[in-house]
Parts: sequence; structure tokens; C-alpha cells
Amino acid sequence: VTQKSSDRLARRLQRILLLIPYAIKHPGVSVDELSAKFEVPRAALVEDLNLLFMCGLPGYGPGDLIDVDFDSGYVYVRMADYFAAPLKLAPVEALALYAGGAAMASMPEMDEADALRRALTKLGTALGTTDEGAPVVDVRFEADPSEHLKALQHALAAYRRVRIEYYSASSGELTTRDVDPWTLYAALGRWYLIGSDHQSGEERMFRVDRIKSAEMLGDHVEIPANFDPNAYSGAFRERSGQAIATFEISPRTTRWFEEYYPVRKATTGPDGWRSIEIAYGKPQWVASLVLSLGDEVRAVAPTEVAAATRTLAAEILKLYA
Amino acid sequence: MRRIERLINLIAALLEAETPMTAEAIRKRIHGYETDNHEAFRRTFERDKADLKTMGIPLETRQLSTFGDDPPGYIIPKSSYYLPELDLEPDELAALRIAAGAVLGVEEEAGTGVMKLSMGAIDETSSAARLAWNADVAASQPLLGPLYAAVAERVPITFDYQPAGTDEPATRRVEPYALVHRKGHWYLVGRDDRSGETRTFKVARIAGAVKRNEGSYEIPPGFSTEGHVLTPTGGDNDDVVARIRFDKTLRWWPEQNLAGAAATDGPDGSYEVEMPVASLDALVAFAVWWGPKVEILEPPEARERMRQRLTDAAR
Repeated sequence: VTQKSSDRLARRLQRILLLIPYAIKHPGVSVDELSAKFEVPRAALVEDLNLLFMCGLPGYGPGDLIDVDFDSGYVYVRMADYFAAPLKLAPVEALALYAGGAAMASMPEMDEADALRRALTKLGTALGTTDEGAPVVDVRFEADPSEHLKALQHALAAYRRVRIEYYSASSGELTTRDVDPWTLYAALGRWYLIGSDHQSGEERMFRVDRIKSAEMLGDHVEIPANFDPNAYSGAFRERSGQAIATFEISPRTTRWFEEYYPVRKATTGPDGWRSIEIAYGKPQWVASLVLSLGDEVRAVAPTEVAAATRTLAAEILKLYA
Repeated sequence: MRRIERLINLIAALLEAETPMTAEAIRKRIHGYETDNHEAFRRTFERDKADLKTMGIPLETRQLSTFGDDPPGYIIPKSSYYLPELDLEPDELAALRIAAGAVLGVEEEAGTGVMKLSMGAIDETSSAARLAWNADVAASQPLLGPLYAAVAERVPITFDYQPAGTDEPATRRVEPYALVHRKGHWYLVGRDDRSGETRTFKVARIAGAVKRNEGSYEIPPGFSTEGHVLTPTGGDNDDVVARIRFDKTLRWWPEQNLAGAAATDGPDGSYEVEMPVASLDALVAFAVWWGPKVEILEPPEARERMRQRLTDAAR
């Protein structure tokens, strides 16, 4: 038996174990409605129902078998009281809902905010607590507050282009850009705007907290059919043709560094320092990263990055001289 | 009889059984298992049991007598099979429905969750309107299920763990206290057998499978997840209050993002704001990312650390 066929069986069984209580709760629900609700083709749904004729309790006489009737196109399931309630939530179902709800709760001015908060409290308690009542699943989604999220949401809903003033950490410059917004994306405790940047003609990701102003324009936005937010998993998408910087980080820094930066390759040296490879667009970005690490970093290469680091350090130093 | 029919019959019979059924009773009484070939039955039943457990169906094995020689019985306790009543209001379900449509990678699982909770009380299918946002909650990580089960049931576990910066995983025995999500990552917090202390394990760095051990434990009174998860800023506790000057081209940033913080106008249109930070290092790292447009004013130790760092780096 292959993994794939046993996955298929598991999905089908899970669906049937949900289909039965649903049909019991809604006697006379139409086959078409069930097919839409469960997002399966009508034929597959009919096959699921047909299967139940052979199922029931030991004895398997007329009083033991599940009674299924859908000849009229309307479904009635009887004699299956033990399947009248659904199976409890699987961990991934509960955790995905709880974490998704927490992410949603970090959005500003939402009509559903109050209902969502109540739902999360109930779900959190159901996930389990300590003897003192503290939840054992603790999801915090403290996305940066930003007044522009709402404006961006409006533009997205209306399929309209936005003009943003954006501060780029790598260049240290504030620039004005026209962006076709495709989605807002919450990851790593921040909100990002993903869309097409007219200045570069590329698909880009913008940190919402670095947007100084956002204004909705009149232009209509077409979102490419093949746009997939999943490609931004971990809030990073490497572009082709980027240069590679290398440096070493201290044993202490290794405890968190690789969780937060898109490291391409890493090896530990005999003294515990770790050699890191990282892709970059502008040398100034690596220079800022290196300076933020201070003496936890050494052996910075290539030359353009080392030079940018010295230049940036000298510039900032003027403030402290 | 098809396998799926046999599995449904097994679930139905074990849910309705008043006392656990032995394998022999299952072979004789449950439709789909009847065979005179004992070895074939044993193989079939073992596989079915394993698959049901993988699917999250709580099939339990019970010793029927104190004498070890007696065969065990099997049952699916109603209390662990059925979804408990959560009393969610329709508006609460509708809010969860929206959240379920926006989680990346686990939309389907979240959608099934909403369906189970609402059972038609709201329109569970995703609305035609496009959601304008997505969230990466990293819930597709396969170990979350077994880790959550261990936390919920207070089952000690063993796993291989490879902390960042090491090349080899090492085996850890842990009594898990909580599952924590911070800044896009999942962590397990629990008592580490080796050190006897409460430790934090990043779920993505657990290698291979999670093994459940014998026994149980209690989460110590007063346990809190607070302070157990490290981030680049050092931790959850903000111990240092800094005073930072943003130049006039950047004053919008604290105005927008640090609203409510104590602030005054500085020279040349700049803006000076007080900000709590986790440590001096975190403060210096934060300021450096803004380049020469942001200056640390206080505390003086942070200025000194910055001067030292930049002097070294500018050489």
C-alpha cells in the first residue's frame, strides 16, 4: 500500500465521518448542497453515500445497518446516532484555526474583532490549560501597528493601485513607488505588502511599518492568475542573480541567527564560530546586518561588502564622536 | 467488502461497544473481518488499528483482567471521540471562517475545523470575495500534532534535537509544558531531563519522530511561557528604556509606529522618543539598521557601546 493511497483513504474516511453527522443534522439536505459544502464532485459524494448501505453495527440486520435514502436527490441518514456528532478536531485543524485567528486579531479596525476575541478564548480553553487555567497553546501575533494597513486593505478590496512612500533599509532612502497590491501577508510577527512594483517592474515585498504614506490611485489592478502567496513562506523570496556575502558568526549568535535570516549555507568551524553564506541585493544591507551584530561577526567578504561596512560605520560614527 | 467499509464498521462497533472487544470478538462479529485465516486477520487488524490512530481516531487498547495472559480488548471511548461542545456563537464561527481562509498551507485543515465546529450553522464554504490578506502561521509542520498531543495529555517524550549552530542532533527527554508561537515560529517549552530545567525547543529543529514515553507529570504551579522564547532582541522582557533621536526625514516612523511613547521635538526638525528595549545590544542593533539618521541619546552606556563598535568596524 503506498503512502498516497492510504492518504487518499484517510481523507475520504474523514470526509465521510463528517458527512454523516452533517446529513443527520440537516435531514433532507440536497446532494448538490452537500457536494458544494464538502467541495467534492457530485459523483464522488454519491459514492460516499452508497458505501454506507453496507455499514452499521454487529448483527448487520435491518435494525443494525445505517439507513440511507437519497433517491429523491435529498439525503436522509438514520440509524446512525453514534455518528450524530463529528470527530473532535485534529491537532492541525485546531492549531491552524487558532493561529490564523490570532493573526487576524492583529489587524486593525476589524468588524469581527469582538467575535474573534470571544472565539479565540473558547478555542484556547478547548486546546487545554494548566491546572491554574493558563492555556498550554500560546500564540502571539504581535504584528507591528501601522495606520496604513487599513488603507492597503481598502485598495486590495477595490483592486486599485497604490502610491507609497517607502523607506528602504538597504539604501537608507525614502522613495515614492506605485505598487499594484496583490495581498497583505503576515509573517515573522510583521505585516508585508506583496505586489508589483512599477519602478523596478518586479514582484516585491514591502514591510508595512516602513511605509510612510499610502494613497489609493485610480488605476485598476489585475492580479496574475499564477500569483501564489505560498512562495513567500518565511517572508523571504530569493531573487535570481543575487550576489553572495560570507561571514562568520559567534557561537552565541548561532542560537537565533539562522531562524531570522535566509542563510544559504552554514558550517561550524573548530572554534564554534559558524561560517554563513547569504544572498544580497545591495551591499549596504549586509553592512547594516554586520554592524548590528558588532563583535559577534568576523571575516566579512567580499570586498564590496567589507568596504560598505567600513563606510557605513564611519558615517554613523560622526553622531557619536 | 471494501476496506473503507470495514473501517467504518470497526469505528461504529467500537464506539457503541459497552465493554472493550477482544480481537477474537472483532473477527467473529464485525462485518469485513470474518475469516478463518487467523494470520490474515491479525495482519489486517493491525494495519487498520495503526491507520485509525494516525487519523486521530482514539482507538484504545485495554487490559481486560489483571492476568497478563488474557488477550486485551479494544474500544473507542465516546468521550475522546466526539467533538466537545464549544458553544461558539454564529458571529464567532463566522470570524473563524474568515481566519481559516487566510492561513497559508493549512487552509484545508482549518476549513474542516470550521465545518466541524459549525455543522451548517454558518456558510462554511469560502466566500466569493477574495481575501485581501494571508498569514503564514507555519502550522503545516508535521510534528505539531504529536507535540500538541503530548502537551495536552501530559505525556513525556523523547526526540532528537539539533539547536542552531550545531552539526549533530542530540537525544532529549522532555516533559512538555506548552506549545508557543512567536514571530512565525513554533516552540515547545518543557522540562529538559538532562538539565532538570525548563527549556525551549524550536519545533523546526526537532529531527525525525517524537517518541512517547511511559508515565506522566504535572506542569509546575506558576509556570508561564513568559521569557522562555529568545528573539533577536534578546527576549520578552524590556529592561532598558532608551531615548532615541530620529532625524527630520524619519520622524514619521516613530510617530506612526511608536504612538503613545513619550516624545519631544528635537533640534532641526528631529523627533526624540523613549522606547523600551530588551538589552543594550538590542538597542544598538536597532539603531544601526537606520544608518546615520537615527542616534541613541540615552543611556550613555549604549552610546559608548555604539562608539566602540563603530570605531572597530570603521578601521
